[in-house]
Amino acid sequence: MIAALSEVALALAAALAFSSLLLLALGYDAASSLLTMFSYGFGNPEYLAAVAAPLVLSALAFLIPFKAGMFNIGGEGQAYLGALLFLYASQGLGALGIAAGALAGALLGGLVGALRAFLGVNEVIASIMINWTLFYVTLFSVSKYLTHPEYPHRSIDVGFSLGAPYSLLLAALAALAAYALLYRTLLGYEIRVVGSSPRAAAYAGIDARRAAVISMAIGGLFGGLAGTLKVMYVGHIDATMSALFGVGFLGIGVALIGRANPLGSVASALLLAGMIIGGHWMELRLGTPPELTDVIVGTTVLVLSAPYALKLLLKGGGLGGG
Amino acid sequence: MAPLVFMKEIRKVYPEGTVALRGASFELLEGEVHALLGENGAGKTTLMKILYGELRPTSGEIYFRGERVSFRSPQEAMRRGIAMVHQSFALVPTFTVLENLYLAISSVRKVSQGEVRSRAAELGKELGIEVPLNARVEQLPAGMRQRAEILKALLLEAKVIILDEPTSLLTPFEAEALIALIRRLRAKGVSFVYVTHKLREVKEVADRVTVLRKGLNVGTLQARETSEAEMAKLMVGAAVERAKRRPPREVGEVVLEVEGLVARDEMGVERLRGVSFSVRAGEIVGIAGVQGSGQRELAEAIAGLRRPERGSIRVRGVEIAGKPPREARRLGVLYVPELREEGLALEMNIVENSILARQRGHARGPLVDWGSAEERARGLVERFKVVFGSLWDRAAALSGGNQQRLMVGRELSSRGALLIAHEPTQGLDVTSAEMVREEILRLRDEGMAVLLISSDLDEVLELSDRVIVLFEGRSVGELRGEEASIEKVGRLMGGAA
Repeated sequence: MIAALSEVALALAAALAFSSLLLLALGYDAASSLLTMFSYGFGNPEYLAAVAAPLVLSALAFLIPFKAGMFNIGGEGQAYLGALLFLYASQGLGALGIAAGALAGALLGGLVGALRAFLGVNEVIASIMINWTLFYVTLFSVSKYLTHPEYPHRSIDVGFSLGAPYSLLLAALAALAAYALLYRTLLGYEIRVVGSSPRAAAYAGIDARRAAVISMAIGGLFGGLAGTLKVMYVGHIDATMSALFGVGFLGIGVALIGRANPLGSVASALLLAGMIIGGHWMELRLGTPPELTDVIVGTTVLVLSAPYALKLLLKGGGLGGG
Repeated sequence: MAPLVFMKEIRKVYPEGTVALRGASFELLEGEVHALLGENGAGKTTLMKILYGELRPTSGEIYFRGERVSFRSPQEAMRRGIAMVHQSFALVPTFTVLENLYLAISSVRKVSQGEVRSRAAELGKELGIEVPLNARVEQLPAGMRQRAEILKALLLEAKVIILDEPTSLLTPFEAEALIALIRRLRAKGVSFVYVTHKLREVKEVADRVTVLRKGLNVGTLQARETSEAEMAKLMVGAAVERAKRRPPREVGEVVLEVEGLVARDEMGVERLRGVSFSVRAGEIVGIAGVQGSGQRELAEAIAGLRRPERGSIRVRGVEIAGKPPREARRLGVLYVPELREEGLALEMNIVENSILARQRGHARGPLVDWGSAEERARGLVERFKVVFGSLWDRAAALSGGNQQRLMVGRELSSRGALLIAHEPTQGLDVTSAEMVREEILRLRDEGMAVLLISSDLDEVLELSDRVIVLFEGRSVGELRGEEASIEKVGRLMGGAA
């Protein structure tokens, strides 16, 4: 625990050092830039909650299949689909629209899981293609069927909203549920055995295909919820997809920074949300370009998740000898 | 006479912190066969890899013909005339023998393939090493591959040949031929280091023997003057009582019935070609055979991990051929697999591994009952003497022997009707191996049917009430325990009628 925390602290320091050098090189005042980022970023709890909640869920979308040995890069597409279905269903169903968004994500995840389990289709390639397909399906739907009568550049408004604090509460409960699923239930145990060693899973009589489908479906459920919460807070889908784009991808980084632990993901989602918000303030106050924020957040994600990702890559690798 | 090789106080600490050698010394005289004896993990192979330049020592000195040397690679060692034949041979399987010889020699000095061919043929004839130069290595039996390796060493003008566990893959016949070859080469002035953990071989082949224990040399003896008991005592550090075969109390009904079983390996090679036998409650049936005679396919087919092509497998009268592993488990099949990474989820902790394959027995509704799982784990590590830091440590953090004890212990302490034990004592020191054997005998006495598959012939003969010999996927003989001798079984293992 202490080793893990000091590792995070060291990585964070390295990320900040790199960011400072970058800011200095581009002629900005590094100290006040970063100060702005970290003070303003965490200054508005409600906005922080609103940005963090979808990230917690998209982290869970990555994490559950990851524990079963799969790489769900489809959180992005699951979020689009969840957002779209929620937007549509919430018009008539109100709060029940949340279930629609989650279910849509679950079905999509389960489909990719089934393709992998029964037809051997690589889930990464399938997901990347589906991500882009759904990007344009969402765009098309927004500009053709769900267009706002007065503002043609965006969709109609959502029919229901939880508000930021409850969104974060929902996300935190989802993280707790994911934790309980993985570490308290038989299903979670079996999923983890499959992810740890497919051979040991076969030995233990665990059906790896079932684990693949179920874990992808649960991941998809969280992915759909991530999109739902995002569109719920923004209130509509923009014809540039600017708010939704990246929610799923960022979840991968959030999950890795949180060491693939559902509860750790809540903490890392809050950290990254604060940095994203602080980055916007930095742009406003110091005139830094938005790309610079992306670089700083991206560097932080990379450096913070690198030690854990590296360990995962090296595990089982033949280090040392007999 | 100055020794040919002198290794002085060699220490080796692996990067992850394992101490393999704690200041071991070793001396090899010109023209002698020197056995290096020790248990698994004693540091024998590490010490020889250091001599061969494959590993670098953490500290210590190496002298060759009285001159201080420090090899940075096997090529450097080979140039000085030191060669090593590894346990798993270092030949390219898809190349011919000649291509392999050329590959090795051209990496040390400039040579043409023609020269290698004529020199190899000449040497082969002179020393009686028959190897078909144009045959592809993958088509050759283990003994032939080993001869190709030795020929390679001789073409490199090796003065010292290190043989690492050279008989582990050989039939008794091939082993005999190897020993004869070693004697002929010694007469020509070649020195050998013979790494082994088999006491009998030391007496047969060696002039002197150095015993390693836990990274230290604990004695060097004249092989002719010492006894197996004395060497065993040095090797283990204390006298060990060997489990004695004892007749079964009472043999009950047939638990396992295998009929006409045919199965292929991953590469599609037919490994089992129609094997039939049965195991009754309260008896141990041992499977003997050279490695790769179909043992793994047999164990996996019964455990439900391999779909047989033809034939039937009945456990307590129920047909399970081709059924998923759950089915075998449900009928009371306990399975110690050959590979630890199959019987353990190494990335998961000890508690989680203690319930592997019986997770449903530790569930309350949809939840895992971690209380009972932890209780099971505690009982297991205590009874089978697993040395660990915390029960929540990953199994990967345990040493190989402790992993083996955890896995074997989990299976042996479960209730069941049939135990399939594949290499149950691999990687264990003599004391724990004896404990495992004793536990297997106890299970048999309590009425369990046991199928014991082991490459350790002594183990098979010691424990089995009946011995079945596999050769090229067929059962070539079935002997009662008391009539099974090393000679008889060995002949059958080699395919002799």
